[in-house]
Amino acid sequence: MKRIIPREEYCIGCRLCEIHCIVQHSKSRNIIKAFKKERRPAKRVEVEEHGHVSFALQCRHCEEAPCITACLSGAMQRDGVSGVVVHDSQRCVGCWTCILVCPYGAVRRDGEGKKVVGKCDLCPDLEVPACVANCPNEALVLVEE
Amino acid sequence: MRKYDYVVVGNSAAAINACDAIRSLDPDGSLALFGEEKRRCYSRPLISYLVMGTVDEKGMYYRPPDYYRRRKIDFHAGSKVEAVDPERRCLETSDGERYKWRRLLLATGFRPFMPPVEGLEEAMYLTFVSWDDARTMLRLTSRPLRSLVMGAGLIGMKAAEALHSRGCEVVVVERMDRVLPLALDETASEMVAARCRESGIEILTGRSVSRVAARGGYRGTAVLDDGAELDFDLLVVAVGVRPRTELAEVAGLRCEGGIVVDEHQRTSEPDVYAAGDAVVAYDLVRGEPTVNALWPVAALQGKYAGLNMAGKEAPYPGGNSMNAVEFFGLPVLSAGVVNPPDASYEVLIRRGEDGDYRKAVIRGDVLVGMLVAGKIERAGILTSLIQERANVRRIKGFLLEEGFGHIHFPRSMREERIVEAVAGLAKQEREARQERERRRR
Ligand SMILES: Cc1cc2nc3c(=O)[nH]c(=O)nc-3n(C[C@H](O)[C@H](O)[C@H](O)COP(=O)(O)OP(=O)(O)OC[C@H]3O[C@@H](n4cnc5c(N)ncnc54)[C@H](O)[C@@H]3O)c2cc1C
Repeated sequence: MKRIIPREEYCIGCRLCEIHCIVQHSKSRNIIKAFKKERRPAKRVEVEEHGHVSFALQCRHCEEAPCITACLSGAMQRDGVSGVVVHDSQRCVGCWTCILVCPYGAVRRDGEGKKVVGKCDLCPDLEVPACVANCPNEALVLVEE
Repeated sequence: MRKYDYVVVGNSAAAINACDAIRSLDPDGSLALFGEEKRRCYSRPLISYLVMGTVDEKGMYYRPPDYYRRRKIDFHAGSKVEAVDPERRCLETSDGERYKWRRLLLATGFRPFMPPVEGLEEAMYLTFVSWDDARTMLRLTSRPLRSLVMGAGLIGMKAAEALHSRGCEVVVVERMDRVLPLALDETASEMVAARCRESGIEILTGRSVSRVAARGGYRGTAVLDDGAELDFDLLVVAVGVRPRTELAEVAGLRCEGGIVVDEHQRTSEPDVYAAGDAVVAYDLVRGEPTVNALWPVAALQGKYAGLNMAGKEAPYPGGNSMNAVEFFGLPVLSAGVVNPPDASYEVLIRRGEDGDYRKAVIRGDVLVGMLVAGKIERAGILTSLIQERANVRRIKGFLLEEGFGHIHFPRSMREERIVEAVAGLAKQEREARQERERRRR
């Protein structure tokens, strides 16, 4: 399956990955509309930064995914075909148990008041996920097993 | 007598995750599941959401409608297992049917604890632990009622929240001096209690119900230990849960405050396994067997029981007390030791200007507990450090910072978690690169 690996030696901390992630998961997928007009979805990639070091991190799609086992409603599941850890927002009740157990801090609350979480889905509609495609310095690498 | 390769008793978190695990290794072995409740497996923690209308009936189910068929599970719905004979490897249901098994899992869950309160046995009340209870609550609260909830643990508070959403007057009586005393620390308890009170729920802590007088139907009067009298139209009793061990005891399995299991979820009898709220199993933080009556823990134990039943040597990694709650817009997450018992623990606390609150509990440079209220994002990183028993000496100063993350870990630890954990991909990448370089030369 597809996986994304961050390379801190190349990351410049520009956070374009976060911006393009938000755009890709917005209603219009248009950067201006996503940021100015629509309800802005939560970013599913997070740039961690400290001093001069930075890197972007999103769901690792763990082999033994704690979020799947812990999910109270059954909304968090592994896609049998792609192996991606997918989140069914229809079934999510927003109990935050996945946030409590994700070792990467890769699940976040999505939207104000709307009790649903969001996480990296590896951009199923794109050949290359938006964060990887839009990284100006190849600090996110897509690998495929 | 029909014989199954695997029989699972119970139909909830532990049972279903066991079935999934069995099927991941053994797609065809015969598998039967007995559930006392007639319904397909549903998410028990969602019953308050059902009452509040934030989840509909369809949303209650943990798995899709064709789950049992697809997994080739003989689902004996509404069938209670009455007795188990480990020696002859057979069981008997309450309908008198008998089955044989090669490997058995008891995932019988919990039962509500009934306090010895005078008059309670004669009274009608809800314990709020099942879908049926939620239905009853919905039916009874078609008109707003005066309700009384005994116990401010997770179930009591969820019941209070549900009743409140139905327009009921709600009084919660808790014997301890604060709400959610096990899941939260004093500060977070106060924060939650304040939210509840602001929303109109009355909370009486440090008090207990000493007598109940039934007045027909669900109505009655409760007399508190200080003599105060409270009339109610509906009483919810939620003062704790206990492992449901009656079947295990009849079968002669070792029980010590729960069914005793080894690290492979095996009970004291060969080929009999147990998992979930019925079980005392290894707790990572306490370092000893503990009952952690929690959905994620039950699910994880079920998974490991299933793997072992299907023949894989898979030791249970251990559970951990952890809670995610949200009351009236205030989310609180906690894991491990949040109320350190003595001064050998180091406690770090951080309060944000916007009222959020974070706490880390450390012992001998190992993070053993955490609690975050308000801003909960990324708290799972702390939970994972607790579970990995990681030494946090060098990152102590950052643990509670807003931007805390892997960036603060020593680089080797970060690489291990982020890069190498991705299934040896770093290695593959390196090999691919070397291969490319070799070709270029
Ligand atoms: C209102 C409420 C809110 C909760 N909220 C949370 C939460 O937010 N987070 C969390 O982690 N946990 C929560 N819990 C706890 C969680 O529901 C339990 O930890 C979990 O359900 C335990 O799963 P289990 O598989 O061990 O057993 P259970 O869910 O207890 O199920 C056991 C099943 O086995 C069946 N059974 C028992 N004996 C027999 C028999 N002899 N024959 C046939 N069938 C039998 C029972 O009928 C039952 O269906 C909540 C619980 C309640 C009631």
